[in-house]
Amino acid sequence: MLLQVIVSGIATGCIYSLMALGLTLIYKSTGHVNFAQGEMSMLSGFVAFTMFHILGFSVTFSLFICLLSSIVIGLVMERLLVRPAIRAPHFNVFIITLGASIVMQSGAGLIWTHDQFLFPSAFPSETFSLGFVRVNGISLGIIATTGVLMLVLYFFFKYSKTGTAMRAVSESQNAALLMGISVKRSFALTWAISGFISGVGAVLIAPVIFLSTRMGLVVINGFAAAILGGWGSIPGAVLGGIMLGILENVAPYYFPSQIRNIIPFAVLVGVLIIKPTGIMGEEEKRRV
Amino acid sequence: MCPKKTSRLFALLLTLLLVGIYAGASAEVGVSDTSVVVGCSNSLSGPLAFTGTELIKFGTELYFNHINEKGGIHGRKLTLKTYDDAYDPTKAVSNTKKLVMQDGVFCILSPQGSSPIFATLEYLEQEKVPLIFPFQGSPLQGKTIFTSFTSYPKETEIVLHWLVEKKGFKRIGMIYQDDKYGHLYRDQALETLKSMGMELVALESVKRGAIDLSAQMAKLGQANLDALCVVLVPGPAAMVIKEAKKAGWTNTKLVASGPVTDEKFIVLAGGESDGVWGFSLWPDPVHSQRPAMVEYRKILEKYAPGHAANRYSLFGYFYAKAFCEALQRAGKDLTRESMIKAAEGIQNWENGIITPVSFSETDHAAQEDGFMVEVKGNVFKPISGWLSLEKGKLTERPLGE
Amino acid sequence: MSVQVKGTKLFLVMAAVLFFISPLFLSRYAIYVLNLFAIYALVAIGLNLVMGYTGLISAGHAGFLAIGAYSTAILTSVAGWLSPLIILHVAGLLTGLIGFGLGIPILRLKGIYIVMVTLAFGVVITEIILQWSSLTHGDDGFRVPRAVLGGFVFDSDKKLFFLIQPITIVMTLIARNIVQTRVGRAFRAIEQSEIASETMGIDLAKYKTKAFGLSAFYTGIAGGLFAYAMTYISPDSFNMGVSIDFIAMIVIGGMGSILGSIIGAVILTGIQHALSELPKVQTLIFGIALIVFMIFMPKGISGLIMDWKQGGPNRKQSQ
Repeated sequence: MLLQVIVSGIATGCIYSLMALGLTLIYKSTGHVNFAQGEMSMLSGFVAFTMFHILGFSVTFSLFICLLSSIVIGLVMERLLVRPAIRAPHFNVFIITLGASIVMQSGAGLIWTHDQFLFPSAFPSETFSLGFVRVNGISLGIIATTGVLMLVLYFFFKYSKTGTAMRAVSESQNAALLMGISVKRSFALTWAISGFISGVGAVLIAPVIFLSTRMGLVVINGFAAAILGGWGSIPGAVLGGIMLGILENVAPYYFPSQIRNIIPFAVLVGVLIIKPTGIMGEEEKRRV
Repeated sequence: MCPKKTSRLFALLLTLLLVGIYAGASAEVGVSDTSVVVGCSNSLSGPLAFTGTELIKFGTELYFNHINEKGGIHGRKLTLKTYDDAYDPTKAVSNTKKLVMQDGVFCILSPQGSSPIFATLEYLEQEKVPLIFPFQGSPLQGKTIFTSFTSYPKETEIVLHWLVEKKGFKRIGMIYQDDKYGHLYRDQALETLKSMGMELVALESVKRGAIDLSAQMAKLGQANLDALCVVLVPGPAAMVIKEAKKAGWTNTKLVASGPVTDEKFIVLAGGESDGVWGFSLWPDPVHSQRPAMVEYRKILEKYAPGHAANRYSLFGYFYAKAFCEALQRAGKDLTRESMIKAAEGIQNWENGIITPVSFSETDHAAQEDGFMVEVKGNVFKPISGWLSLEKGKLTERPLGE
Repeated sequence: MSVQVKGTKLFLVMAAVLFFISPLFLSRYAIYVLNLFAIYALVAIGLNLVMGYTGLISAGHAGFLAIGAYSTAILTSVAGWLSPLIILHVAGLLTGLIGFGLGIPILRLKGIYIVMVTLAFGVVITEIILQWSSLTHGDDGFRVPRAVLGGFVFDSDKKLFFLIQPITIVMTLIARNIVQTRVGRAFRAIEQSEIASETMGIDLAKYKTKAFGLSAFYTGIAGGLFAYAMTYISPDSFNMGVSIDFIAMIVIGGMGSILGSIIGAVILTGIQHALSELPKVQTLIFGIALIVFMIFMPKGISGLIMDWKQGGPNRKQSQ
């Protein structure tokens, strides 16, 4: 039975991981913190919803458009909101994305109302038995997709030329410029990829927690996951998300109901006090 | 500030003051020969935005438009002033003060949510402003308060008595939302079952906005329940269905609370909710063929073409109708007192939607019953008559479909 | 003393007199809104002491507001004979102490970590209020008894005006003095560059914890006044959105400026009341304002005023 709860926790954790991945990516290459990551997912989810529910396109095509629109949303965010403040302190960009999340949420409410909607899953909802554990197809799909996405991103940054260039930009924008790397292009690319991740998030998350203007709130758990795993580390983001998911599920299993609500937060604060760099994080060097 | 501006401002203030004095001179706050102004603080944004918008924009205002088109009540047109509180008690207090002090409303009609409403109670009492038919389920009492649907504790009692007495269930568990709504249900269930010499076999809570209920469901699954009361909101309740299906539950009946017994729940459960029982306060808003329900859908279609019927707009519509009934009975000489007196005089008001409504000096509750339904072919079908508790005994009246 | 200074002083005195007789001719609702302005101005000043002057982001100030409000409510209900001034002090000090305590672990953290810890703090506080129902009545909410000062009961917004406004004015003046002293300059130096200020001999740890404690103290007092003004508080009154509203206040009003805090509090609260009929537009405007200010006017409205004072918006500031 415990195993069952853990597996379910991993699937939920992967949802957090997806959020954390998007956040981490932007932070890693631009140093910015994107509070609107969850709302980006929400928005592309609603684009797909409009496609199949109102315009009557097929689900597969709608989901494809969802991914495409998420890249566009990322690019628009970068061009409209982040680039004008590119020289400003990171704090300003954080507030800008906070504002963007508010605008996106209330704007979506104006267009699609604040109701909850059923969102079709790209994976079968049948239940499978794996040994002692019963898992449904959606959970398996989430876990597999997150795993693949993490690996792709990891190798992209480690080995591809563009990925290395993006890393260089995050290390030092000036040095990167001297080496002939376009900072602007690198930023745009980062936001495009992060947008794409939010789109994948929408496709995977919306069938589980339903599509609504409030679904972006899951980004809070994404933040917690990213910090737990080590802020700025891609494997850390995934690991942190999964750990948070398991923790949230196993805690109610053992602890009385009075304290279990705050366990994720308590763990977070605990980690920050004991080891602020998280599980996989590296010691940040102070730049003078 | 230049003198010209100052004098203009002064003139404006003076005018406002005079208007204020004039308004104060009329018979009752918010009432003139041609209009009645009522107010409401509701969730038009925030977590309950959907409910609030449906209730106000497609319920209360809808019915007011309908009545106004027919000439109003005793020649008075009805106006509803709504401010958004986003389920924040602080904003609810501000809105209510604005409605009472600035807009001078006759009464507060159908605000939403226990925290925002409770935050304004003392103030409304102090100002003697009637609070009519709030959308919330905590038991409320007061000389100037009229409540709407069956309170959650009452509902709990009815459901548990029915499950035990009519269905012979022994092992009953509950999964509840960890807030006031859930706690009212939980506490009443513990008490009621104790009085019947039973107990809640399993009890699990869910945080508002939780996205994974598998741990709670795993524990509940071990309790070998006859029935599980699902005291959540439609989204998480649909997750309960999915978890139960995944774990292969077969011997446990899922029983939805009033707020879960909503068409949204069936939609979100994606066709997997057949067989679930629920406690319904209303006839089916979409399918019911009662004349009064057909009329509701007709008016909805007229003022909001293409807008789907649901239980929230039905609430707003029905209680606006009930309010208008009280206004009608209060007669030409409308004051807060005369309205309350008229409302207390309402006996067996046949409304065609719920059980005939009766009020008295000591009873200000519009509804104290409900009926059990089962999801069949993605529609709630009645499986009992109107159930209520009279002196602790479960009584059943025919539905009259 | 020059004629000009004398003129300004006269103006200030007149403004003050006018302000304190304003309840005589203002509507009751306007007085209530003025009280809210004052309470939120205190919160904004408190938040600015942390964010504007030391650059530490707090996304959990609603938690401090809650501590101040609940301790005032509880104290007033068990010891209503105590002067509200004493009760508010105790509430403020308690909140300040907790803020000071929170400041200690935060010292070691930066940027996003601080956001998350403070966010978590806000959530944990409301959760504690919910669970500790023997003291706080949990989600039933707390009915706050009226403040009584020497037999005088503050039972209307008009009466509360004379409790809330003087306290706010005095505390604003104190805050103004603090930021102009050595401590304030140290706060600001931290905001500019932590490493530089450390080499200048500013004990970072000491000042950061002090800033947090002071900020919490201000917010705690505001929480007490909030409890008196609202007469009913519940955990729902202190949700995360409230903390974000506070951040918006100082972003729009102006980071690192006392005047800006007041302007921001007044504008945001004012908009919320003026536009409560148009909720959809309201949140939209609110979000757009955050973006526009951060891109085009990162110093907020008070920054604009300063620029204008120093000779037109075109002139570059020397800082």
